[in-house]
Amino acid sequence: MPAACDPYETLASVVQAGEARSSNPRTRPRNLGRCRIQRLRADPQQEDPVKFLHTADWQIGMRVAHAGEAAARVREERLAAARRVVGEARAAGAEFILLAGDTFEDNGVDRVLVQRVADILAEFAGPVYVIPGNHDPLVPGSVWEHPAWRQGAGAPEGGGDARPAGVQLLTEEKPVPLQGGVLFPCPIRTKHSGKDPTAWIPPREGNVREENGIRIGLAHGTVEGVHQEEPDYPIPRNAALRAGLDYLALGHWHSTTTYTSPDGAIRAAYSGTHETTRFGERDSGNALIVEIAGAGATPVITPVRTGRLAWIVFEAELREPGDLPRLRARIEALGDAAATLLEVRATGLLAAADQDELARIEEIIASRFLHGRVDVSQLRPFPGDESWTAGLPVGVVRDAAERLRQLADPAYEGVRPEGASFEVASRALRELYALSAAAGAGEARR
Amino acid sequence: MILRTIRVQGWRCFADAVQVGPFGDGLNVLHAPNATGKSTLFEALLRGLLDGHRVTGRDVEALRPWGRVLAPTVTVEFAHDGADYRLTKRFLDRPTAELERRERGRFARLAEGDAADDRVRQLLTHNPPGRGLARPENRGLAQVLWVPQGELALPGLSGDVVARIRESLGAQVSGPGSGPLEEAIEDVYLAIYTPGGQLRRGKDAPPLVRLRDRLTQTRTARTHARAQYEVFEQASRKVEDLRARRAQARRNEEEITRTLAEARRQAESFKALLSEKRAREEQVKAADATHRALKQQIGHIKAARDELGVIGETLQRALAETPQLAREVSEREVAAAKSQSALEDARRGRDGIEKARREAEDARRYVESSEKAKAAGELLSRISEAAAALDRSRKARIELLAPDDKTMRAIRRAAKARDDAQVRLDAALITLEIVPEEQGAVEVVVGEDTGRRTLVPGRPTIVKGTPEVVVNLPGVARLRARGPAASADEIRQERDAAARRVEELTRGFGTSDPDALESLREKARDLDKRVAEATAQIETLLSGRSFGEVETELTRVMADVEEILKHRPLWRKALPDAVALRASAEGIERSFITVVEKAEVEWQSAQAALAAARGRLAAIEVQVTEGNRRTEALRARLDDLASDGKKDDQREADLRRAAMAWEAATAGLDDIATRVNAFGGDPSEAAATLERQLEAVRNEATRALEEEKSEEGRLQHLSAAGPYSALVSAEEEVARLEDEIAREELGANAIRLLHDTVAQCRSEALAAVAGPVEAAATRYFHRIAGGGLGRVQIGQAFEPEGVRPGIADSSVAIQDLSGGEKEQIHLATRLALADVLAKDERQLVVLDDVLTATDAGRLARVLPVLAEAAERLQVLVLTCHPERYRGLEGARFFDLEAILRDSATRS
Repeated sequence: MPAACDPYETLASVVQAGEARSSNPRTRPRNLGRCRIQRLRADPQQEDPVKFLHTADWQIGMRVAHAGEAAARVREERLAAARRVVGEARAAGAEFILLAGDTFEDNGVDRVLVQRVADILAEFAGPVYVIPGNHDPLVPGSVWEHPAWRQGAGAPEGGGDARPAGVQLLTEEKPVPLQGGVLFPCPIRTKHSGKDPTAWIPPREGNVREENGIRIGLAHGTVEGVHQEEPDYPIPRNAALRAGLDYLALGHWHSTTTYTSPDGAIRAAYSGTHETTRFGERDSGNALIVEIAGAGATPVITPVRTGRLAWIVFEAELREPGDLPRLRARIEALGDAAATLLEVRATGLLAAADQDELARIEEIIASRFLHGRVDVSQLRPFPGDESWTAGLPVGVVRDAAERLRQLADPAYEGVRPEGASFEVASRALRELYALSAAAGAGEARR
Repeated sequence: MILRTIRVQGWRCFADAVQVGPFGDGLNVLHAPNATGKSTLFEALLRGLLDGHRVTGRDVEALRPWGRVLAPTVTVEFAHDGADYRLTKRFLDRPTAELERRERGRFARLAEGDAADDRVRQLLTHNPPGRGLARPENRGLAQVLWVPQGELALPGLSGDVVARIRESLGAQVSGPGSGPLEEAIEDVYLAIYTPGGQLRRGKDAPPLVRLRDRLTQTRTARTHARAQYEVFEQASRKVEDLRARRAQARRNEEEITRTLAEARRQAESFKALLSEKRAREEQVKAADATHRALKQQIGHIKAARDELGVIGETLQRALAETPQLAREVSEREVAAAKSQSALEDARRGRDGIEKARREAEDARRYVESSEKAKAAGELLSRISEAAAALDRSRKARIELLAPDDKTMRAIRRAAKARDDAQVRLDAALITLEIVPEEQGAVEVVVGEDTGRRTLVPGRPTIVKGTPEVVVNLPGVARLRARGPAASADEIRQERDAAARRVEELTRGFGTSDPDALESLREKARDLDKRVAEATAQIETLLSGRSFGEVETELTRVMADVEEILKHRPLWRKALPDAVALRASAEGIERSFITVVEKAEVEWQSAQAALAAARGRLAAIEVQVTEGNRRTEALRARLDDLASDGKKDDQREADLRRAAMAWEAATAGLDDIATRVNAFGGDPSEAAATLERQLEAVRNEATRALEEEKSEEGRLQHLSAAGPYSALVSAEEEVARLEDEIAREELGANAIRLLHDTVAQCRSEALAAVAGPVEAAATRYFHRIAGGGLGRVQIGQAFEPEGVRPGIADSSVAIQDLSGGEKEQIHLATRLALADVLAKDERQLVVLDDVLTATDAGRLARVLPVLAEAAERLQVLVLTCHPERYRGLEGARFFDLEAILRDSATRS
């Protein structure tokens, strides 16, 4: 463990680096190793510490696949999360905000969204430094040509404040003076590139002590170590060290991830997306509050939760009657269902008597949750469960039930009629069960 | 169930009570004309047994007799499972139902109201109707056994009946309660699919269909959105390209502008240099002119002085030479006169040459003419000889009479014919050859040549004749020789004709012998040949000329000879030697030429020397004159050239100064020329080219800017539409619909699988029991219609589907059979099913006016079938043609008309 890691002040959970990114899932990084996000005390000898909020990958206007009618709500939540990011920055007393690319999912998003994002950012009193990412690169017709970005949106009327205020869209690789330091922006101009966007940052001249200002990089790309078929804005793992940066704010990958320098300090980090974008995306929905006491000081990084939506997957294997009620209990125990997207993947065996329970679960999910789906395609009838087939009328119906039961067994080796997969056969059995139950109820009523 | 009696009252046409029965257990025929009420009775039977007594509605109201307010009432007595029952139902007005059972000889009430309804229904069906009227599927066994008018065709039977049939056949298809569940399965299936297995369309279409339609529309929208998005991206790239193009144009413009400025500066320098160069060239020209003028002046003065000196010397020499040249001219004139005289003497020898030439020519002509005259004479002599020979040959040919080739061939043919006839005549004659041993005589009595002939010992004497030869040998015998008769006379005539022909052809030739004639012919040919040869010789000698022309030529040549001889008489005696004379003449000519040429040379030499002397003298005189004139001119020119008043050294000094000035100007000019050449051309041209390039680049930049602005406007318009958001919206909708469709498809497929599996199980179960029914139906059908149509095939609900003829590979649908065959198959199937259903208990079969399309022949075969069936079934035939069934033995006939009359009478 690096010397700078103080176990007593560890506050962030252990994260798995690089779990999800907004582009091709095949190029996701695999196991970048484990690290810890730590709160470290600022050097008391340094003066005028700099505090800012690091966020990225808002992906505003993104497509939400397989969320059904909740897609619009999910998109709206990303804007709400953006407001929370600004609120967190304000609450933490951040002097500025760094937005490290992919603010928008695409340059072709609705212009109303552009204006809304600009308005949200303008709510922050200090400057907001934004660079285009690979999803919203600086190209003709991009979102950055929208009038909302001109003249530093959000600047106080009359320009009474001497410091730069409002949104600063950084479109050139030129150092930007900060209060107490320099920002090195690395804007993106194409969707794909094999070039290191941080390569232009000049190394620090002289030693750290002689140069008072802190140096912060703002880039969008892939830190080395992630297996990819093609280079995707590769950023060397030692980019911060090479460029003499005190901190390198990264965007592109959606999980919160940090990188420790040889001096034991964390000098590069992905803040991750501010609101989770999909099922299976871990350690997302965060922003990072970064405090740097001075040049060469160890950054103090504090993750703050900005996401609200929960993307939960329950993989329930049903083994015996009664498993479904337990599953229902778990589902009902989930908090804030209205902000939860739930996917239940039920596998295993389904007893006839549990079919009503399954229907109940489906009703609960459909009625309470923001979005939910119960995948029962891998369920098959409980073998030996003759409790209800025995009650079927003797003859063709019972014969048919028995035949469907055979077809519902994935291991069935007989000839299957066309389209009679075990999923279809299982469903057919469920339908027969429902019809016989209704007929029984009707009989009882008579 | 066996029907005993039926009694109706207040029922359609039966306002009053009427009762029919009791029916027999076997065959019963209820007959009456149309509209008498047979089918009404059947209807009353069905309603009484199956409908609840409290049913209401228009259909039930219609049961009342027209114009009457009567409650339809029916009473049915029947036997079932060994017991007799009586059911009485009253509909509409105070409806009642009462079921009685015969107990100990009389009917006792068994049930009433709804209970009575249910009890009776249970006897017939497991699928009773609800509160409404009984539909066909509620009729139970009656679906098979009771056939209303016009409904012989057997429909698909309800599940309970099918189950009953199968149960009767010993196979379990569906137990109690299966019907509703199967119906439910069918209902959910038909809510999604058509009976044909297709998804339902239209207003009853399942959600899956609507979702698919919507998905199709959404996919179209997605395609459009994607296209819009791609247009947006392309526009972005285009603007990027245009910006790059404009930036490049701007860089090009800057570069060209820089280059142009340099080019303009160069052009200015070049222009200044050219101007300076022209000034220097003027300076060089001026210096050169000055130098030249001075140099020329000095040169001219010197030349004039030199020339004056030379002319002075020449004048002195000429004046000194003049006397001597005058003397030489005189001497040359004398020598020339002498050579002139010698030449004239030599030329006078030319006459001798002419004389010798003429003599030589005459000699040549004389010799030549003499030879020609000799040759012409010889030719004329040979021509004369040839002409004489020709005359002789012609004369001999004229005198010789010989046949020509054609005549000769005719003669030979005629002679041959004559000789052939003679041979055949000889063969036709009887020949008697007598070779005497002693001298004697013979007298030819009959033969060719009759008369006496002398016989010479040893010499044969031949006698010929025809048809016989008779000779007398005096003292010896009379000999008669006969031969076969032949036409000797005809042959003889032929021979004589041929002989006459020969004579005619040879007349005038002096002989008729062909060989002699051939000899004459050869001789004539020889003469002809000679004539031809002589003629050819003459023509050859004349060589195309006439004889007169040859003679004229000879005359002319002889005249030439005589003419020459007039001047050269000596040549008459001896021919001159023309060659020698010619050589002599040529020698004389050569000598003459030699002498004349020599004299001419000498004369010419003398003349030339004289002319030369005269020329020299004249030249000296001219030289003197010209020298004097030139001297004066030169002196005047010298005066003019030296008019500047300078001395020669002063002029030389001026000349040196002018040369130095010229050299300085030339050096300056070379320097400028070198600088001009260093440009390698006029830089102003390059500048002009650059200006044009600059203009083109600026135009390009302007166009790029305009296009960029235009494309930016378009891009702004496209981006304002939010193409990605639109695409996202469409894609999400597509994904949502696809998910929903997948769920619906799973459900629909599950329903289909459930339905098909049930159908498959039913089909398999029915296949096990349909065989016996098919076999029985086939037997009945074959008895009625014969075996030509093969086996009857029935469906899952025991409905006839068709037949399978033995000679056909496939089945024939029942729809494709004739009307009569259809109803016979249905009847056969119903009877087969009735057999099954009546296995445990005799059942009532009602046939209401069926077999209307069956002809009399097949109907006759139906009757025994019915009679046989009546052994196991109670058969009630309702008909308006009782005569058709009169042949049925044991049948009980009921005349409804008579019954009605009796009822009326009784009432």
